[in-house]
Amino acid sequence: MVAAPRRVVVTGLGAVSSIGTGAAGFAAGLRAGRSGAAPITAFDTAGYAHATGCPVTGFDAGRVLRRVPAAGLGRAARFAAAAARMAAADAGLTDADLRGARCQVAIGTTDGGADELDALTAARLAAGPAALDRAAVRRVPAAALPAAAARELGLTAAEAITFGTACAAGTHAIGDGLDAVRVGDADLAFCGGADALCRKTFTAFYRLGTVAPDACRPFDAGRRGILPGEGAGVLVLESLDSARARGARVHAEVLGYGLNCDARHPVAPDERGVARCMELALADAGVAPADVDLISAHGTGTRANDVTEARAIRAVFGDAPPRTVGLKSMFGHTMGAAGALSAVACALAIAHRFVPPTINHRRTDPECGLDCVPNEAVEADLRVVQSNGLAFGGTNAVVLLGRHGAAGAA
Amino acid sequence: MDITAWTALSPYGTGGGPFAEAVRAGRPAAAAADPADVPDTEVCLVPGFDPRAALGRRGTRAMDRVTGLAVAAVGALVADRPAGPGTALVLGTTGGSAQSMTDFTAASLTGERPFDVAPAAVPGAVMNCAAGQCALRHGLTGPNITIAGGRASGLLGLAHARRLLLAGRAAAVLCGAAEEYSPARSWLEHHGRDGAPARLGEGAAVLRLERAGTPGALARVLAVASGVDAALADVARRALDRARVAPAGVWAATPGLEGAGVPARAAARMPDARGLIGDTGAVAAVFQIAAALAALADAAGRVAVVAGADPAGQVSAAVLRMA
Repeated sequence: MVAAPRRVVVTGLGAVSSIGTGAAGFAAGLRAGRSGAAPITAFDTAGYAHATGCPVTGFDAGRVLRRVPAAGLGRAARFAAAAARMAAADAGLTDADLRGARCQVAIGTTDGGADELDALTAARLAAGPAALDRAAVRRVPAAALPAAAARELGLTAAEAITFGTACAAGTHAIGDGLDAVRVGDADLAFCGGADALCRKTFTAFYRLGTVAPDACRPFDAGRRGILPGEGAGVLVLESLDSARARGARVHAEVLGYGLNCDARHPVAPDERGVARCMELALADAGVAPADVDLISAHGTGTRANDVTEARAIRAVFGDAPPRTVGLKSMFGHTMGAAGALSAVACALAIAHRFVPPTINHRRTDPECGLDCVPNEAVEADLRVVQSNGLAFGGTNAVVLLGRHGAAGAA
Repeated sequence: MDITAWTALSPYGTGGGPFAEAVRAGRPAAAAADPADVPDTEVCLVPGFDPRAALGRRGTRAMDRVTGLAVAAVGALVADRPAGPGTALVLGTTGGSAQSMTDFTAASLTGERPFDVAPAAVPGAVMNCAAGQCALRHGLTGPNITIAGGRASGLLGLAHARRLLLAGRAAAVLCGAAEEYSPARSWLEHHGRDGAPARLGEGAAVLRLERAGTPGALARVLAVASGVDAALADVARRALDRARVAPAGVWAATPGLEGAGVPARAAARMPDARGLIGDTGAVAAVFQIAAALAALADAAGRVAVVAGADPAGQVSAAVLRMA
């Protein structure tokens, strides 16, 4: 253990989502309880009984990127690089600031360039493997995502690391960014996650019967599953000392992180493992359960996840748990970006003093029994907020953010 | 951070013993023409490896090869010393099983209905399938991380593992990587290098990492440094700076670091894992570290530098001191 771990704060936020882009646009979408649901057009959806998702529409990465031509990047890499650029701008970091800094770029993703691999598979079926588009082949690897973000920011000395931990990947990336700053590996961490809609993952969830026909309703008695989404979230983390020295605005403090593995089931979450992960994060943050004001749940809106997660929350927080929102109701399940967009939302909720709602809500499932802040955002003074990320493979991650300077969060 | 054990499931067969012996002898692994008929490609397969034969029939019917390789290699280290609850797994990959993923999409594209895919194939269509199966089969309830860094995975994994240890999130880290040979991978690699000739390899290798000062350590990881589109020598120089090691004092190093002031003779002392067992993708750097540990076992106190780069842009270097 490091003797006196550095305090780490969030000074920049970038977001690409179906409900709004950039810190301000995303915050407005969250506050309004906007829905990003729309027909999926990223691939041919003929033959599926339903194909509603939360696609990013009308977003032109070329208007955000300054160094890297968007045309050369896969869709997820574009999202990652754009979110990183927006986060740097939000943090007030100029290229000159970045040139001398030791940086980490940590991006979580479920699929990397799997949308490109889908297209290459179709091409192989049509014309054989010898004629594949070589530029598309180079857009497949997940490692291209943080590399694109690092190039966009001119960070040739950065550690550009990809977390491939499926739907917890964005949360893992933020936790590693916290550690990179805490232990002194980096002065600045650009961390988050990115994914693009693809046939492979849509089909996987669809086949498991976990894609909802119309809307995602976390913790609702009538929930039918996820709506697959896409986008990216990136946070700029730095030490409190560094933020103070350059007079940066602090959105929130990263209080702690926990990660573990259920080691119980290939795809289903396990109550005990999830509860243990929350306990690890609380202990790392030095925060008592009673001090947590809000949980941004993994909250996929599937039958299995929501009951298991709710039980785990009650196991840790008792019979009167904090408000627990399912943000995927608004912008869908963005896979590797989910934990990142959740953390961006938590930081915005703390900074702008509101609780983003769980939309599409009709009747809370008594088996879940949580106050999910149905349908309308509420004003709230949030001191400590928790963000959960759970994934296939039983791998879990939880981060805790707090209002900078709040009593009990210091 | 110390390396206290390692294992390899390689084209030389099962276990660290055969790998170390062949590396010390400089004996290249057997290569065969690529079964996928990819032009100018040879392959070095893990001889006789089959997930069902290696791991038994339970739960292996739909298991892809990369998952089988990872589960078997991690199992060898866990059998050597049981993993406690504070043991993390950090597993490198390029992108899981390219074959499983392309097969899954192909089933969707060619089936009567687009969702006529096997439910059992779903877990293998996700990148962290191998790490999850390792946890499930070996009871690893600690941090479970998949690093998708291609050929830099092993070195990025070291950097991440070091942070897990320093931050107190794990008492030990099983840090490795796995890569399978498959026709899908072969064709992707072929196009990715513009059709240049290649010798592909496969396998899995895992290091056990513990806090510095652990008794019985084989080597200490003094530092890791990384970059994007950076020269190998520049990244190695930063790693040496962090390790407070003068470049002239490096005993063995992967080639190409002369620009960092590493003596040319250092490259001659470093075994060439890629030359011996082929391009093993995500496992390349882990096999290279294992090769260094094998070849330099008698070079106590000497410093070795292992550097690697992925075509996606990641460049990393680690500085090790042999115990």
